[in-house]
Amino acid sequence: MLFLVAAGLQLVFGVQKILNLACGSFYALGAYAGVSAVRWALGAGLPAPLFFPVLLGAGLILGLIGPVVERLLRPIYERDESFQLLLTFALVLMFEDVIRFVWGTAPHQLGNVYLAYGQVRVGALTVPTYNLVVIACGAAIAGGMGWFLARTRFGRVLRATAENREMAEAMGIDMTRVYARVFTLGTALGTVGGALVIPATAAVNEMGIDLIVEAFAVVVIGGLGSMRGAFAGALIVGVVKAVAIATWPEVEMLAIYVIVIAVLVLRPSGLFARAIA
Amino acid sequence: MIVQALGAAAALGLLLLPLAGIPYTTTLLLPAFGYAIALLGLNLLFGSTGLLSFGHALFVALGGYTAAALTGRLGVRSLELVLLAAAAVAVVVAVPIGLLCVRYVKIYFGMLTLAFGMLFYSFLFKFYVLTGGDEGMRVLRPVLLGQPLEHLDTVAFLTGPFYYYALGVLVVAALVMHRLVTSPFGLSLRSIRENAAKAESLGISVRRHRLAAFVVAAIFGAVGGVLLVVPTGLADPLLAYWTHSGNLVFMLLLGGFDHFLGPVLGAVVFILLQDGVMSLTSYWRFVFGAILAVVVIFFPRGLMGLLDARRTALS
Amino acid sequence: MSLLLEATDVRKFYGDTCALDGVSLRVSAGEFVSIIGPNGAGKTTLVNVLTGLTQPSSGHVRFKGTDVAGQGPVRLARLGMARSFQLVTIFPGLSVADTLAVATLSRLRRSARPFTALARDTDVRAAVEEVAALFGLADRLSRPASTLPQGDKKLLDVASAFALHPEMILMDEPTSGVSTADKIAIMETLVRAAARMGIRAIVQVEHDMDIVFGYSDRIVALHQGRVLADATPAAIRADADVVATVVGRPR
Repeated sequence: MLFLVAAGLQLVFGVQKILNLACGSFYALGAYAGVSAVRWALGAGLPAPLFFPVLLGAGLILGLIGPVVERLLRPIYERDESFQLLLTFALVLMFEDVIRFVWGTAPHQLGNVYLAYGQVRVGALTVPTYNLVVIACGAAIAGGMGWFLARTRFGRVLRATAENREMAEAMGIDMTRVYARVFTLGTALGTVGGALVIPATAAVNEMGIDLIVEAFAVVVIGGLGSMRGAFAGALIVGVVKAVAIATWPEVEMLAIYVIVIAVLVLRPSGLFARAIA
Repeated sequence: MIVQALGAAAALGLLLLPLAGIPYTTTLLLPAFGYAIALLGLNLLFGSTGLLSFGHALFVALGGYTAAALTGRLGVRSLELVLLAAAAVAVVVAVPIGLLCVRYVKIYFGMLTLAFGMLFYSFLFKFYVLTGGDEGMRVLRPVLLGQPLEHLDTVAFLTGPFYYYALGVLVVAALVMHRLVTSPFGLSLRSIRENAAKAESLGISVRRHRLAAFVVAAIFGAVGGVLLVVPTGLADPLLAYWTHSGNLVFMLLLGGFDHFLGPVLGAVVFILLQDGVMSLTSYWRFVFGAILAVVVIFFPRGLMGLLDARRTALS
Repeated sequence: MSLLLEATDVRKFYGDTCALDGVSLRVSAGEFVSIIGPNGAGKTTLVNVLTGLTQPSSGHVRFKGTDVAGQGPVRLARLGMARSFQLVTIFPGLSVADTLAVATLSRLRRSARPFTALARDTDVRAAVEEVAALFGLADRLSRPASTLPQGDKKLLDVASAFALHPEMILMDEPTSGVSTADKIAIMETLVRAAARMGIRAIVQVEHDMDIVFGYSDRIVALHQGRVLADATPAAIRADADVVATVVGRPR
């Protein structure tokens, strides 16, 4: 679900020109919250297949952290980008310990709950249906975002601001509110992504930090500021990882960074971006 | 006057510390020296040239692993040779990476350097045959200036001869950096930072100067890395992880990047602070994150900036 | 009189748009040439091509006999051509003295010296003071460039280009954004400094017709990427077509 996090990053960067390192932390928060929520729900007698909406809900609720964080970031909008990076880095540090505080240091898992959805044969592989559900969800969200950006009024406002902030402001659009909403949306994408992924993997302390590098790779490859890019980027990264693991495991991480570097060098704006370098 | 007095007092304190007989504090400060040197280099890149690298840890790790390879695998124990080798390796690695990276600015530079840093990390992590994987490589006790000093146990070695050696290297590094910063080269770098287009129109080759700054920073990073791994005796992949680069930047910001000595202050304060906070709570990361946030928002010029402001206010 | 700059049949296309359509121009030592024309005529593009910043799509540009097309500002500064920009470009955080020092060091080829102390370089200091005095900035040497009033910033911008001791200087609207009263003062300073510093030719892009007619030896009028006229001020004034197109209304 790299895509969701990457999409969140894209959104925030495209409009506000901020690269939010803490995106990974949001992802982690979503994951942990998801685990806790489902555990609690199951313990309360919820039938297994219904865990999915609970997960989703937990992710969405965690997204409410967004506005709070955004408030924090406001003072430095005008400053040099390096400072923005540093501030989000500070958040990464802080969130890491928040997670540690609330959930401890041992990994949290949901065990095999997701198998409640059964399995499905796709060609020669047996795939847990849950994975397909996640993929479908991702696609749905992608489609939803696309429609949202293209059709709704707010979506258009977002795109206008991304293109030219001063003009948008001159036309009377309230930047502060736009920024707040965008950031929340970006955050929610991250937290939901984290929550959804949880059944398949364990929630570990470092997941936020590990993820951010991959998410950033996706964003760079796809191109900063482009939704389609985020999708393509996530796809590429996912495929490369799968191929690498199957053929030459050591190179898995290396391969991705090499591609990142290649893209940055050959096409600094990524494969799909229209934004200026 | 106050600044000078404080500085002199601090220097004196550093000099006399081992004699005070508190081995804990003395060994605690050892990484600060290594970090300070690495940071002097980073400050040349950021403070003088305006390029913020999020992959500086790459060169620190390079230095560390060079030390490990030389002392552990190749049996070269002379610290002077190790330092020289680390510098040479840094140059070899920095030139191609630098050539690539200095073509871009600001956020792209940051991202590229981060990517390279992580590339090196994954290399260190995965190729365990060469690098020991996540267990790292051992660093054996080096020989200082030809004196084997076998008779000293680790603590005595670290709090005595090694402490002064490291401090000495730091002083030399600081002097070199001071010269660089006050030279025409330093001015050219600053002009590039202020307005690269104008610098070019005045005949300054922006790319070459940036590359030079990058390579110099790399050398300082590697030298710092060597000194960093000797006390712990281990070089491990986390030295190259992006959060390590982030910490470096944090230290730089804390100390202040306007003044070339800011990094030294930042390194020392960071280490002392980290120790202090860690003993108070296991959630030190949270505290540090908060401190960083406060510094970024309210004191972007760091501690040196504060002292500077005091000075101008008083005069 | 020796030929310094020669542009032959320069064309520049941006995609399908033609910015310059066969422009030829010659500047010899001792000349003060003004390039005029309405906005969009291609003046800045021409200056960019002449100063080696932009590669022409076709045609030649030669400075002192050397082909300079697309060579870049660094190379051109070495050859002896300097340029100032339309929008004020300064080093905001550097002091006046430092700004001029950057140019001087470049001239003396000392920009990359890593181990000499700048503060002790007497050559540089003397040169900086000399240039500052010529431009009336001597009493402000230690002030950061960003704190100067707009007119002084402009002066500094041009002064730093002059500090390269170029043989020829191209200025893109040197008096733009400056009040009318200051314009004359600036032009006087520029011309005097140029004479004192041995600059052999000046080319400027300028909109203010009083300045243009008051100082130029020759005027080149551009219109839609082509040279409409290239003659002395008197001849231009007599040419009604040029006057109507470029100047706006007959004088």
